[in-house]
Amino acid sequence: MKLTLYVARTTALHRLHPVAKVAGVLALFVAAFVSQSPLQSAPLAVLIVALLWAGSAWENVRRFRWFLALVFVMTSLVWTLFYNSAAPWFSWGPFHPGPDGVWFAFAMAFKVTTFFAAGLLFLSTTRIEEFADALRMLGVPAKLGFAMTLAFRLVPAFVDAAISVVQAQRCRGFDFNQGRWWERIGRYLPVIVPVFIGALRRADHMAMALEARGFQRHGRRTSYRVYAVRWADAAAVALAAALAVAWVWWARGGLLG
Amino acid sequence: MRVPKQFVAELRNVSFAYEGARCWALREVEFQVGRGEMVVVMGASGAGKSTLTKLLNRTIPGFQRGELRGEVWLFGQKCEHETVADFAGRVGLVAQDFEAQLFSSAVEHEVAFGLEQFGVPWREMVDRVRAALAAVGLAGFEDRDPATLSGGEKQRLAIAAVLAMEPELLVLDEPTTDLDPAGKEEVLGVINRLRTHGRTLVVVEHETIAAEMADRIVLLCQGRVVAAGTPAEVLRDVALLEHVGVRPPDLAVLARRMRWAAVPRDVEEAVSVLVRSGVPTRAAAAGADRSPRSSVGEIVLAARDVTVQYADAPAPALEQVNVELRAGEFVALLGQNGSGKTTLAKCLSGLLAPQAGTVHVKGQPIVDLPPQRRATLVGYVFQNPDHQIFADRVYDEIAFGPRQVGLPAPEVHERVQEALAAAALIERADDDPFWLNKGERQRLAVASLLALRPEVLLLDEPTTGLDAREQRQVMDLVSALHRTGMTVVMITHTAWLVAEFAERVLLLHRARLVFDGPTTDLFARDDLLECARFRVPPAVQLGRRLGFAVRGIQELLDVLESRGVEQP
Repeated sequence: MKLTLYVARTTALHRLHPVAKVAGVLALFVAAFVSQSPLQSAPLAVLIVALLWAGSAWENVRRFRWFLALVFVMTSLVWTLFYNSAAPWFSWGPFHPGPDGVWFAFAMAFKVTTFFAAGLLFLSTTRIEEFADALRMLGVPAKLGFAMTLAFRLVPAFVDAAISVVQAQRCRGFDFNQGRWWERIGRYLPVIVPVFIGALRRADHMAMALEARGFQRHGRRTSYRVYAVRWADAAAVALAAALAVAWVWWARGGLLG
Repeated sequence: MRVPKQFVAELRNVSFAYEGARCWALREVEFQVGRGEMVVVMGASGAGKSTLTKLLNRTIPGFQRGELRGEVWLFGQKCEHETVADFAGRVGLVAQDFEAQLFSSAVEHEVAFGLEQFGVPWREMVDRVRAALAAVGLAGFEDRDPATLSGGEKQRLAIAAVLAMEPELLVLDEPTTDLDPAGKEEVLGVINRLRTHGRTLVVVEHETIAAEMADRIVLLCQGRVVAAGTPAEVLRDVALLEHVGVRPPDLAVLARRMRWAAVPRDVEEAVSVLVRSGVPTRAAAAGADRSPRSSVGEIVLAARDVTVQYADAPAPALEQVNVELRAGEFVALLGQNGSGKTTLAKCLSGLLAPQAGTVHVKGQPIVDLPPQRRATLVGYVFQNPDHQIFADRVYDEIAFGPRQVGLPAPEVHERVQEALAAAALIERADDDPFWLNKGERQRLAVASLLALRPEVLLLDEPTTGLDAREQRQVMDLVSALHRTGMTVVMITHTAWLVAEFAERVLLLHRARLVFDGPTTDLFARDDLLECARFRVPPAVQLGRRLGFAVRGIQELLDVLESRGVEQP
């Protein structure tokens, strides 16, 4: 079963130089992070949706649609409740919701969701090895770069193990769908034990395997993947930089003030 | 001091105990590998085989600490503070847990990883990746995500990843456990080629087929070297092999019983020796002729036109499969890696709903049944027992199922006791499953389903990675269940298990069911055996040549004895 997010295609986005991809996703992260209002996030969201479409990453959006929707709804809800509104509809305990709170909550929800979507875009169009290569080219030591990508390499394995464990328990009459939603979540707790033990064992074995294949070795490394720098990459980096600068400027009131 | 240049690796009086362990994993071991030599290390689980391999690339004491005594010499150099990295290019170790050795997003990147670390130029790297993949039969898999490969394909990939680095000494710790017969042949072919090219090899194997290719065999028992010599010397010592927990070759067992001076080279030679001693060939079929009981019981499980297509796979995993299983049958599900065996088992157990077709258990659609009801009808033992064990006590692990289906406490207790007894785990009821060995964990996995008393038990490669004794114990448990009337479906690649236990065989080939019939019929179909690359066990072949339908070496010996065959 395929568990990684990478979608093996050859779209223009896939073909970009990994450093350009990293620059691009960093710019999207910055823009998402600095956006102050839904008005500022909306064009960014449109851009990310367009890029997801251009990168044939739609299947991943489908896979994560409930997650993205949940993040959006929960963030809106929580911030609406906890925002200290200047003109609250009502006040009850720590809750002072009001119209400005709703506006702020939407801004936060957009911020978080575009953040996730940008990450999804990056992982859908970038191999984990390309990510490590990009980090190396940007001066990050190879070992550190590998460690940074390790999470993305291990998560699919853990998900895979978790699926097996859930199936094995269902086989023995365990009904995950019984009871109310919090009971159902509680039912998944026993899954953690074997997954965690498996994870530890696996991490241990992987460390040995890495070592046996020369990972701790000092000296020059080469790359199996060859990257040519093309005009499209330069353009992508320039656009990414422009996007980040524009959004920071906009956020600091440059566009309106 | 003599510098042993002729040895690639040498252990001199080496003992090792893992940190926190109560006993020595290796005791006073003397072990040498000469350049260009192939040494096969055999022994039961826990005999110290993996420990020995880890000493050869410095994983011990570099990674796994403990008390190490004696001297380890690698490439004529006495090791003191050397690390794994110091020998990474010269010693290639493919460890037992091959899945944990894969961490790349595509097959070719996985193979290239080691070469990248060593700064191999790009052009050369491309050639070596291609050559390594071709050597293990994975050419054409370059772009595949390793996570989507079958178990056997993953195992070959792990070998290719080390092979590409062209190490002087290649150490393979049980490299064929999860492989189908074809895959085993391929890997053994790879090993043989490497051998003829002068590569030095240390291979840990349970099966004697690989051992027959070796220059030398080293037998380990409880951390000690108990025998070392050529295959002809070591493999003929049936008593010793049985004592250390290695399954002796059929022909060696025959030779000992017949008191022959030498073990026949192959089945043909054994036939001619037997004929000379008065056994008529093509005698009327005698002995334990098995007539399948398939017509006896009622249909318990039926799959009709089952088709499964995984979202990201290029071809269907199952195509229009029709199977009917009757009460009390013992069925073997065979097929190459990736042919759809596990997918079919998951459909039959209701874990996977097919895109097309239906699965009915006792006349009801299985997907409609609530999990509690399904669990009492069909039990599925996973390939990896670690995926299904999660309790911190053996007792609770077994009690989990009965509690889920809502049985009252006294009955839960009764069933747990019964399952513990059946699996020979009574003594370990209060232990943490984490501390059981693999054979015990496998029996615990079976016991935990057994407590639900399902009518059908599906076992996914229940003997993988177990030694001869553990395999025998698991199979004793399974056949005892079968005798109580349980329907058993077993996925396996092990020829002697099929011959000895299965009455009926289902053979999958490229997602389709290509054979469904009595085991003896399959053994007569050379075309199908060739397509599955299934090797009929020598004892069964021998029986067939002589006209006896026998299941294994024991039955063959019994038949010969009843015929009064004397030694020549």
